[in-house]
Amino acid sequence: MSDQKDKTTHFGFETVPESDKAGRVQGVFNSVASKYDIMNDVMSAGIHRVWKDAMMDWLAPRPGQRLLDVAGGTGDIAFRFLRRAGHGHATVLDLTAPMLEAGRKRAEAERLADSLDWVVGDAMALPFEANSFDVYTISFGIRNVTRPADALAEAFRVLKPGGRLMVLEFSQLPNDGLQKLYDLYSFNVIPRMGQLIAGDRDSYQYLVESIRNFPDQEAFLSMIRAAGFGNAKYRNLSMGIAALHSGWKL
Amino acid sequence: MTDQDPKFDRRMLEALICPQSHGTLSYDADRQELVSRAANLAYPIRDGIPVMLVDEARVLD
Repeated sequence: MSDQKDKTTHFGFETVPESDKAGRVQGVFNSVASKYDIMNDVMSAGIHRVWKDAMMDWLAPRPGQRLLDVAGGTGDIAFRFLRRAGHGHATVLDLTAPMLEAGRKRAEAERLADSLDWVVGDAMALPFEANSFDVYTISFGIRNVTRPADALAEAFRVLKPGGRLMVLEFSQLPNDGLQKLYDLYSFNVIPRMGQLIAGDRDSYQYLVESIRNFPDQEAFLSMIRAAGFGNAKYRNLSMGIAALHSGWKL
Repeated sequence: MTDQDPKFDRRMLEALICPQSHGTLSYDADRQELVSRAANLAYPIRDGIPVMLVDEARVLD
């Protein structure tokens, strides 16, 4: 907490004023929204689906639970949660309306309409009362938040006592050789695929750089503990290309 | 509003608060806004989706 005025943050590999980041992230997601699902499939060779299922396995949704899914755009996590819980309620919050509209148009959203709410909002200033949700999830979203520690503090606030936080995010590979290979792939291939599929190289260049900048497994675990969560743990997915972090509001 | 337009679900009012003041909100159906008296802000509802961002809110007189 040594920051003074003119605070800066990362936007990919650029250093930008904190006040600029949200707008620039909005720009990225406004521009990729309609092709976001298909790009995720291509970028991760379909593996993001396996990771999201792994998230649900660890989360083990129960009937009647209330979920807040932040940065939940296209509804991927909310739909899985409701399917597994049998019945429950999911609020999907995202910084950009186009991402939510993409989710609301999906067939599942119509079938589950009574169990779903869609809200545009900021992870660092949630529009919900304290102690409102049983589960808080954020999947491939927290690295785009200007101040992740603030988002974790808000997660803690809106969770009920006994509530559960679960974060799915790209992470770091355990050894330098593998990380080098992965960097070669991600920096050379993904922006080009972004150009080919979504006609948007810059947005995918940002995605790759932001992944590399995000704290590693242990550093992020410390942030979760610092926000007040107990029994905090993580699991690597695909050797650490992604990681799941879990914590409880005890 | 036609039947085609997604409508704001009033039940959401029970869950939402003003992200700035943490105060309660009232629903203005005509203007399609959620009004926070405490913060003097009105949050727009677009296509049935409330936009709970201070930057996007209208400052009340």
